[in-house]
Amino acid sequence: MSSPAVPEWTGVALSVSLVGLAVLIAWRQRLGLAREIVIAGVRAGIQLFLVGAVLLFLFKHAGLPGGFAWLAVMVVIAGQVAGRRGKGLRHSRYVATAAVAIAAAVTMGVLMAFGVIQTTPRVVVPVGGMVVSGSMAATGVTLSRMMAEARGQRAAIEARLSLGLSAAAAFAPHRRELLRTALIPTLDSTKVVGLISLPGAMTGLILAGVSPEVAIRYQIVVMYMLLAAAVMAALAAAELGQRMLFTPAQQLR
Amino acid sequence: MSRFDLREVCVRRDGHLIIDRVTATIAPGRCTALVGPSGAGKTTLLRLFNRLDDPSTGTVLLDGAPLETLDVLALRRRVGLVGQRPVLVTASVREELRVGAPQLTDGEALGLLKRVGLPEEFHERPTEGLSGGEGQRVCLARTLAVGPEVLLLDEPTSALDPEAAAAVEDTLCGLMGGGLTAILVSHSAAQVQRMADDALVLRKGQLVENGPVAEVRYVNGGG
Repeated sequence: MSSPAVPEWTGVALSVSLVGLAVLIAWRQRLGLAREIVIAGVRAGIQLFLVGAVLLFLFKHAGLPGGFAWLAVMVVIAGQVAGRRGKGLRHSRYVATAAVAIAAAVTMGVLMAFGVIQTTPRVVVPVGGMVVSGSMAATGVTLSRMMAEARGQRAAIEARLSLGLSAAAAFAPHRRELLRTALIPTLDSTKVVGLISLPGAMTGLILAGVSPEVAIRYQIVVMYMLLAAAVMAALAAAELGQRMLFTPAQQLR
Repeated sequence: MSRFDLREVCVRRDGHLIIDRVTATIAPGRCTALVGPSGAGKTTLLRLFNRLDDPSTGTVLLDGAPLETLDVLALRRRVGLVGQRPVLVTASVREELRVGAPQLTDGEALGLLKRVGLPEEFHERPTEGLSGGEGQRVCLARTLAVGPEVLLLDEPTSALDPEAAAAVEDTLCGLMGGGLTAILVSHSAAQVQRMADDALVLRKGQLVENGPVAEVRYVNGGG
């Protein structure tokens, strides 16, 4: 019997048995996780079902403006999540939202302007989703490292300020350090791509029956765009965040 | 001439009044001590003079000009700060002396080391491994490199062992003999008697005594 490359709805229903197995094991081992596994499974199912419905609607009826509107919603959500990492920073959610928006706009703009990807909702929404999610991760780490540096290195920053250095100059060594830290995960995953993990886009395309030669072309574009998005998001978050860290009179808040 | 005037200065933090309506004058060319029990607001007050913080209400004036009307970076070059502990921000003494003065020549750097009582060979030393006293001298030299008219000293010897403290204190006294204006936070009455000309006594953020050191009871055991 040959199975289809993509599961039918009956297949999806049967895959629920895997969740059942996980629940059974959790229950037998008294892990106290059975309830959470059920909730997580149901939640993921509902979320994906709803997203599928939204995408179906977008692709059929809303056109490109609808696709961009959906992208904007993703940026706002990502900004809220990443902004929480900058706890204690003034306006951290605005900073995070702006950083993600800048990174997404530039990356997607370049990809579309050069015709690398199709300018249709079917492409813009999922590719944009990857860009936003990568930007969100880089922004979150940048802001959380920024607050850690500002708190832990207060004496050093104020020592430089006291010597007449501007806020930007006084923070520059810390900014370099935190940007390096924020970008290391992205750089590392770029280095080992294909060797350790088969990334999502490629896996998806191969599963859907596309030849690996086409799949890697897509994956290379995705990798490069995620790298650019992460770097831009981290830079934008550091630049905007730094302005919130100091007063106009070059005082560390 | 670097004369400071405090006018009705208040500092509020999280609803607490840390500095409560302080009005005073810091005379140029003299060393003025800020004294009082811990928590009296001495360091808080000191940070207002180079605008690491601003008062919540009231004004600090330098030679008659409100500080907020002056360029803050230029102000901080006129008014140098030496903290309680040596905070070295680079890898070598050579770099450290040039943080605020990138154009400093080797000759000038060696002159500064001499002024703070360190031998010339320290110029090529890494900052790691310096003792507390040596580090504090490097911090002092780093501040002097910028050419300040006023030195803010926040308990500059309290983190040092007695021997190093005495040596750093001697160096500071020598510098003040050279006409620098200094504002010194200290909890040691003996140090204030040795180093300062005037004293402001703070208690719970309020100025409770003010005058030449010899006449201030808090410093002379009259609490």
